[in-house]
Amino acid sequence: MIKVEQLTKHYAGTVAVDNLSFNVSEGEIVGFLGPNGAGKTTTMRILAGYLPATGGEIEVAGRDVFRESLEVRKRIGYLPENCPLYLDMRVDEYLEYRAGIKGVSPRAVRSRVDGVKEKCGLQEVGTRIIGQLSKGFRQRVGLADALVHDPQLLILDEPTVGLDPAQIRQVRQLIRELARTHTILLSTHILPEVETTCDRVLIINEGRIIASGTPKELEQNLLTGSRITVDIKVPEERARENLETLLGVKSVSTYMVDEWTVAEIECDEHEDPREAIFTSVVEAGWKMRELRQHKKTLEDVFVELVVDRNGGDGVKRSGIQPARSEYGGAS
Amino acid sequence: MRSFLLLWRREVGSFFLSPIAYIMSFFFLVVMGVGFGFTVQHLTAGSMSYEVLQNIYASFFPWLSVLIAVPVLTMRSFAEERKFGTIETLMTAPVSDTAVVLSKYFGCLLFYVVMWIPTISYIFIINKFSTTKIALDPGALLGAYLGGLLIGGLFVAIGIFCSSFTSNQIVAAIMSFAVMMMLFMAGLVSHISNIEWVARLTGYFSSLAHMMDFSRGVVDSRPVVYYVTSTAAVLFATIRVVEARKWK
Repeated sequence: MIKVEQLTKHYAGTVAVDNLSFNVSEGEIVGFLGPNGAGKTTTMRILAGYLPATGGEIEVAGRDVFRESLEVRKRIGYLPENCPLYLDMRVDEYLEYRAGIKGVSPRAVRSRVDGVKEKCGLQEVGTRIIGQLSKGFRQRVGLADALVHDPQLLILDEPTVGLDPAQIRQVRQLIRELARTHTILLSTHILPEVETTCDRVLIINEGRIIASGTPKELEQNLLTGSRITVDIKVPEERARENLETLLGVKSVSTYMVDEWTVAEIECDEHEDPREAIFTSVVEAGWKMRELRQHKKTLEDVFVELVVDRNGGDGVKRSGIQPARSEYGGAS
Repeated sequence: MRSFLLLWRREVGSFFLSPIAYIMSFFFLVVMGVGFGFTVQHLTAGSMSYEVLQNIYASFFPWLSVLIAVPVLTMRSFAEERKFGTIETLMTAPVSDTAVVLSKYFGCLLFYVVMWIPTISYIFIINKFSTTKIALDPGALLGAYLGGLLIGGLFVAIGIFCSSFTSNQIVAAIMSFAVMMMLFMAGLVSHISNIEWVARLTGYFSSLAHMMDFSRGVVDSRPVVYYVTSTAAVLFATIRVVEARKWK
């Protein structure tokens, strides 16, 4: 559905998107994940035909986004960031107007508008002025607008930003329902959103894709080595001696709670020594009250990939280290 | 064509929903009314040689208020869309840039025309209450309103053009006011300049002088061509400005 090859976008002096390539096939929900300013919005604007690319090829539904812009735009439902709407119009009026300019035939307008209003839960606010609606309803009006011409592809730029938790859940539910009939590309910097809604994730930072895959794959491939907590009734030293010898255990750190030893075990890559731990504890005749593996989440992946990188750069750029050495030299 | 009509309807609708448009047309009529009052005073003083239509349509009163009204009416056209980000939803809908610009232009022009409509009543008022019937030349009347439409057409185009540059309505209004003022004041230069060619050149641009002719019923082809072509040129430039975001 979407084919992006070596997409590059320069803004006066800065590179917003740097040699980005990815594909989205029909029926997929793909999440664009990245910190603010990573190039998500720019990429989506280019896909929606609002901005031109500096370089690269972009095809949507087999058509070039720039050369066949009008045809492509008919097939895309785009919800920009912050959901801009005409605040002086009524909901029905707005949706009918949008349906019209998006090429829905005059006879079909009424039924299309009714259809998307039902889908987005807007039946009761049809005659209200958009400016008087709450943020949640406005977001739904924006979604209804994106859907009104029944596009093949939905591009949603941060569809849940600024909503309260209940509204976020509703919007996510709606997106999942839409996914049955549409291809969806959505961007977010909220991690649970990707985990709960997307088939595939593209993590983007500083205009480049730094990881992609299903949320599961990302967790598995990028976060090798998990952590296990065991709680055993035995003195610290004996516990450590026993556990450190096991296959797949990298390191063990312990602390005591009453007469119980809590051991935090770092595991080797792709190893799961839980069974071995259990067997050895039972064989030694100790009592165990907890054995738990800490699942690393997408959040850990994200932090590892993005925040660490940015943080590292930040330290260098802010010049903390030179300042320190200067100080050291003076003393 | 259908999308143009829909866009145009939305533009017109937004005018009739916005308080600014009503306030502006109210003040326009107030100023016009004051001008009309002076005309009536002159007539009652008995100056028979008085050119009624010229005094109503080609005096400073209507044109000063047009110079203020048009920037205020046009300033929001693109600036507001940019400010609220609706330009993004608008331009990612399958509509051409040309349709968007033209719909905004003709939407604004319609409101400008609506603003002028009540002034037609002045003629009937004079005819009804004046003891010495003025010969009401329909040609002159038509000429006056044609002139108003042509000049307004260019000014509205300039206003939309200025609005397409910026997301700040005030900046748009000041820019278009400055440009219109220069065009309008070119006529004054032609009166005071000693240099032959400057006087002639600025004379060609003088909207006030054109209006003098129009309201006498003299429709010279030169100003007509001037207004029509420059309106088209300004609209073309506006389309290019709107397209400019797509230049690589």
